[in-house]
Amino acid sequence: MEQIQAGLMEISGAVLLIATFGVIARRGFTDWLDAYRLQSVVLAGVAAITAYVTGIWEIYIAAILTLGIKSIAIPKVLAHVTGRLGMEYKTETNPYLSLRASIMVSALLVALAYFLVQQLPFRTDTVAGIYLPVSLAQFFLGLLALVNRRTALSQVVGLLVIENGLFLFTLSLTHGVSLIIEMGIFADILVGIVISSILLFRMSRTFDSLDVGNLENLRDD
Amino acid sequence: MGFSSSDITVLLLVLTPLAGGILVTLARRKSLAELITISSASLVLVQVFLILSEVAVKKTLTAFGNSFYIDSFSAVILLPISLVGFVSVLYSKNYMGRQYDMGLVDDRHIVRYYQGLNAFLLSMLVVPITNNMGVMWVTVEATTLVSVLLIMLYFKENAIEAAWKYLIIATVGLSFALVGTVFFYYASINSGATGDAMDWTGMVQNSKSFNPALVMIAFVFIVVGYGTKAGLAPMHTWLPDAHSEAPTPVSALLSGVLLNCALYGIIRFRIVTSGAIGKSFPDELLVILAVVSIGIAAASIYFQKDMKRMLAYSSVEHMGLVSLGIGFGGLVGIYGAVLQIINHAIAKPLMFFASGTISQRYETKAMSKVRGIIKVMPVTGALFLIGGFALVGMPPFNIFLSEFLVLSAGFQGGQFVAVSIVIVFLAVTFAAFLRHLIGMVFGNPAAGMEREEMGRLAIIPMAILGLLVILFGFYIPGQLQALIHDTSVIINGGGFA
Repeated sequence: MEQIQAGLMEISGAVLLIATFGVIARRGFTDWLDAYRLQSVVLAGVAAITAYVTGIWEIYIAAILTLGIKSIAIPKVLAHVTGRLGMEYKTETNPYLSLRASIMVSALLVALAYFLVQQLPFRTDTVAGIYLPVSLAQFFLGLLALVNRRTALSQVVGLLVIENGLFLFTLSLTHGVSLIIEMGIFADILVGIVISSILLFRMSRTFDSLDVGNLENLRDD
Repeated sequence: MGFSSSDITVLLLVLTPLAGGILVTLARRKSLAELITISSASLVLVQVFLILSEVAVKKTLTAFGNSFYIDSFSAVILLPISLVGFVSVLYSKNYMGRQYDMGLVDDRHIVRYYQGLNAFLLSMLVVPITNNMGVMWVTVEATTLVSVLLIMLYFKENAIEAAWKYLIIATVGLSFALVGTVFFYYASINSGATGDAMDWTGMVQNSKSFNPALVMIAFVFIVVGYGTKAGLAPMHTWLPDAHSEAPTPVSALLSGVLLNCALYGIIRFRIVTSGAIGKSFPDELLVILAVVSIGIAAASIYFQKDMKRMLAYSSVEHMGLVSLGIGFGGLVGIYGAVLQIINHAIAKPLMFFASGTISQRYETKAMSKVRGIIKVMPVTGALFLIGGFALVGMPPFNIFLSEFLVLSAGFQGGQFVAVSIVIVFLAVTFAAFLRHLIGMVFGNPAAGMEREEMGRLAIIPMAILGLLVILFGFYIPGQLQALIHDTSVIINGGGFA
């Protein structure tokens, strides 16, 4: 039983990493959303396993919320908005770094995540050992996704990946924070996504594109 | 289950803006929305004064078990929130009314605006009174979301740009603060905390047994995270955009109050950190960030062309001065820093209100096109001048006092290098700011500008703040002094007065 658990954790950790790479490497917004959805489903599974292992019932609720909000509601909202914006937003501009360079940098960031976890005085049980580096890697790759492309959509996806990393981080380090805070964080994310959808919509109406290069009017000179 | 009296105090404080927001939603009319929000903001102000007088006697209030914890430090932050909240709402009636008359906004915008103001007040009021650092993070993030909605009220190009940058940068920044908070939580669990390990009071009590390496990293994350929200350089890049593109009353709240709420988070964690690893590491970090912030603000003000952006950079400078005071430490430095929080919260909204009125009258924010305010609007011009003098720290106005305390704490602490650099930067700011200010206030207005103020409700909020700016320059009421003193003891002495 123990071995099955450990095996499940390793596989889920690997899937999470692969899904995060998907956000970096793939080209279109719908592909990113798919990767994000996959990541969120796996994350909900990870939360459920952690709840089972630790016997803390509150984590089950966090798992259900993850499944409901992150893998269903948020992708739906974003797909709806971009659907209304029309086809041209689904094909995306190239990243600043070439695809090959992006993958290389991502790999380095993942290595950095594993290195950092070894340096810090963290707990060393199986859950933390597997998921902590993965969560930090998600955090770093999310930051990379955020800055690596000129489109506002990839900034949203980057934020979402960062947030998934944070969720996994709290889950594996402290078995989540108390339920009320968890709910507050979920509420913040959901509202944040709704607001950014409104902004995306307005941006496309006003500037006729989602290129963040348009957002350079406000300067000091 | 019965409520204690302090439970009711907290409940009422939180329910007032909530009820205001709901009523505005139900009312759906401009005049009603204004009336409701003015009432809710004045009720909040009255309640905060009651809380302050209670804190002055009892030192701490706790409500709902240990969930809410109000000490003198919380009270010092509550005061600007409620005061600036009140004057901003008052100013809104005139300012938004004019926008309405000009056809820039319609009834739907106005209702949304007042809903937003109530929600903004609500989220900010929870930040200093909650004991739970996780809840604090959630509410600080909530302030970001609400204020993004307020900034993008008009959907103009620049407002969309400012709102987007603010949303992305502040959210990424705050995610660092969440990591830091979880680190502290983890350290707290491992030190064998009883009760909720996320409570600030518990963290402070157990801080001696926290893992030092962990606390060090955690505090860096906190400073980067909440520092982004507090506008400390180099994480300040969103601030001038957001503060200059928001509707003026919102700029006043963002600048005068919200920045303080974020700094409050840093300072609370600084108290825990100093309990765990001593003061030298967190204080050095704060001094470095402060010097960078004051320097960047000086350069930006020197080259500035836009009135509201100049004020925004002056906020970066002031947040730097607060951090500097905390970083220099000692009772004097911290006293100066806390006083600076209050003084900034009085002077900056005054300047934003004046600049809002001026830019409505001159129909521009470009400083080169604004001339002769004193001839066109004598009262506004005089208040603008007073506020400007205060902002650069000229005696006998209020900010001079707090700046002087902060700098003398630096000399006492032997931080001569930092103090000398800061003094050079302050001198540059002083000269550049005054050059811009005097250019706008004096000189000859464009031909054809009649002498006319912009209405009584625009003047009253500015006059209230202007009087406080002058008063606090030479006299601080005894009760407030005691409150600031207690706060300094809390920050300096490891958590409890």
